[in-house]
Amino acid sequence: MPKAELPHPTRRELLRAGGIGLLTFSLGGSLVKMSPAEAQAAGVSLSVLSRAEAETLASLCERLVPGSREAGVVAFVDHQLAVSRTDCMLMIRYLGVDPPFTPFYREGLAALNAAAQSRHQLSFSKLEDASAEALIDALADGKIEGWTGPPPSFFYFVTRNDACDVVYGTVKGFKALGVPYAPHIMPPSEWGEPD
Amino acid sequence: MTALPAEKIDAVVVGSGAAGSHFAARLAQAGKRVAILEAGPARQNNDLVSSMLWARRLKSAGAPVLETGKDTVGYGFNAGSGVGGSTMHHYAVWPRLHENDFRVKSLYGRSRDWPIAYTDLQRYYDRVQAECGISGDHEKETTRPPGAPYPMPPVPVAEQGRVVASGFEALGMKVSPLPLAVTSRPYKGRANCIWDGWCDAGCPIGALANAQTIHLPQAAAAGATLHPDTEVVRILTSADGKRATGVEAVTHDGQRVRVMADVVVLAAFTIQNPRLLLASATPKHPNGLANRSGTLGRFITTHGAAPIFGLHEKETTPGFGAFGGQLLNQTHYDNKNAHEASGAFGSYQWMIANALKPNGLLGIAPTRPDIRGPALTAFMERATRHMISMTGVVEEEAMAENRVTLAKRKDAHGVPLASVAYTTNEASAALWNAAIAEGLSVFKAAGASESWNAPRASMHIMGGTVMGESAADSVTNSYGQAHDLPNVFIGGAGLFPTAGGVNPTFTIHALAARASEYLLKHWSSAVG
Ligand SMILES: Cc1cc2nc3c(=O)[nH]c(=O)nc-3n(C[C@H](O)[C@H](O)[C@H](O)COP(=O)(O)OP(=O)(O)OC[C@H]3O[C@@H](n4cnc5c(N)ncnc54)[C@H](O)[C@@H]3O)c2cc1C
Ligand code: SF4
Repeated sequence: MPKAELPHPTRRELLRAGGIGLLTFSLGGSLVKMSPAEAQAAGVSLSVLSRAEAETLASLCERLVPGSREAGVVAFVDHQLAVSRTDCMLMIRYLGVDPPFTPFYREGLAALNAAAQSRHQLSFSKLEDASAEALIDALADGKIEGWTGPPPSFFYFVTRNDACDVVYGTVKGFKALGVPYAPHIMPPSEWGEPD
Repeated sequence: MTALPAEKIDAVVVGSGAAGSHFAARLAQAGKRVAILEAGPARQNNDLVSSMLWARRLKSAGAPVLETGKDTVGYGFNAGSGVGGSTMHHYAVWPRLHENDFRVKSLYGRSRDWPIAYTDLQRYYDRVQAECGISGDHEKETTRPPGAPYPMPPVPVAEQGRVVASGFEALGMKVSPLPLAVTSRPYKGRANCIWDGWCDAGCPIGALANAQTIHLPQAAAAGATLHPDTEVVRILTSADGKRATGVEAVTHDGQRVRVMADVVVLAAFTIQNPRLLLASATPKHPNGLANRSGTLGRFITTHGAAPIFGLHEKETTPGFGAFGGQLLNQTHYDNKNAHEASGAFGSYQWMIANALKPNGLLGIAPTRPDIRGPALTAFMERATRHMISMTGVVEEEAMAENRVTLAKRKDAHGVPLASVAYTTNEASAALWNAAIAEGLSVFKAAGASESWNAPRASMHIMGGTVMGESAADSVTNSYGQAHDLPNVFIGGAGLFPTAGGVNPTFTIHALAARASEYLLKHWSSAVG
């Protein structure tokens, strides 16, 4: 298992306690229970990530796991960063990273963009296929010159897993793979909520 | 929420997992007034949502543990939190330790001996097995030490198991049904397992022997009270330092409370038990409670997980079965020098044909982090049908320098965080390599079209409050009774002087059964 060597987080995040695990997104002032895919489609406001961070995360994850943008990876990560640590469903919560987890994402995404800027004078999401893929290769290998975020291959591992979670870890995801979900207790929303 | 006892009670139990729930049930059933304080939240079976995402809410959310060694013990992954502790997401692979595991020093001149032999635990294993139910086949499991036959027939073997078994057989090795504390038929009012592979998210139907299914209901029926969201921050001792008097805890609403008791049972899992003892130092116990020997916090061990994966032309439906697996192999277990030529020392076993869900840390997708993009989509489509897997449980040697100490940093309640320095020694690393090589050759022999392994990860955490014959070099006697504080009993795998190469929870229960029986018999001398 990769070992994170992170600087101690400098920022305390405003934690918004979610009703036990239900994914709730703020939309037009009211709290509506939505799946991350729906939230994405509705252009729902972000709780933690900035628009630019969200775009970087979405384009990285889409390259790692096709379909993850549409499946709502941004809404998923953003929401999980906002809920209490007990309710958090991100894999990072048990990978030995000191909470809160937002700095991990924020610094990783900033470092990825910085690397794209330094290589191509473009933000990551604007890179052409070949440049983006080469940068991801370097990320996975842990070899990016001037990188200042969390260990690059660990950042790759975590974001890839987040993307896998939204694409493969839901009832819909199992269905697309042709794997029967066969739950004891159905998650109460699409990933969450009744289908 | 049940009010905490205001009066002094007989026993306060810290932690509601395997060890704590077991102690609480036995003491309460003997008529003792018992309160269980649990740092994490309350849980009902309805909280055990079948999803690898929701499963993560069962993981530890307490104070972080700082990992400072060359390797890690993976506290975040290995620790549970909330009522039932890590039993709620454990896989119930329950083999017994073997005779040689108790005598590593006398047989091999390395590490430490246990203060007891297998024969001392045998009847407690038998008793726990009857109470909790284990499915298996004691005759086919030829490596199992003596004891009563398993009370339930073995776990069914599906295609994934058959495929991997063929690899072992081709190399002249035997497999047997995996001993699982899971119901292969209805057992003592519990439903039988339906092999849907959701164990990691917690089994809500009572098929798997977790604390919520077995010992917590018994404890409650006998009058023990359970207090979730109540974190113990200090063990209190008398002015003369000869006995514990109770514990100090912080409740959900931030109040500091004291629960006074004749006996303190410390069952807060491996790293937290020594942390609490160290953090409860007094002038009479300047180096931490129960630490006159200087051994407290030392001899932390873990098992090196050795995961092997492969793809096979046969359809293996890897998503189903029990998460822990279907079959067992312990060919080299009884000779800890079997791989001596490569400098390796220790025992290992294989848990064969683990259920694999598409996502999650132990799921299919992360096994090949090198694959991404459209190739990942293709891989997932194939692997969810054709994957095979097994996991080696590799003994790591108990070393004094692998230890828990208190960090300078404190948690929200002012308790110093635990810092764990852990480095796998060379002999254990060599054993892990030998296991991986064997595993890959088994998969090749099974006809896998490709096979690969994951890097070493820590699985289970043991040591830190080790038991021993002498108060000079151990923390407790063989009953988990602290040498220096006779009314403090420690439960859990922290007591293990050496790790063995099998999963620890059956042994945790056998030790708790033995210790609670002893405590009840010697109550007045323990209380003083
Ligand atoms: C994914 C996974 C799979 C596993 N599979 C297996 C398996 O197949 N076979 C096997 O034998 N073992 C398995 N295990 C290990 C097994 O879960 C543990 O051995 C067992 O639960 C440990 O029992 P315990 O009583 O020592 O601790 P736990 O069961 O973890 O209970 C400790 C409790 O103490 C509480 N606590 C901690 N600090 C405090 C405090 N200060 N105050 C109050 N309460 C506190 C915790 O919240 C926790 O609830 C697995 C573990 C994991 C994580
Ligand atoms: S496979 Fe069996 S033990 Fe595991 S969750 Fe399902 S019913 Fe429970």
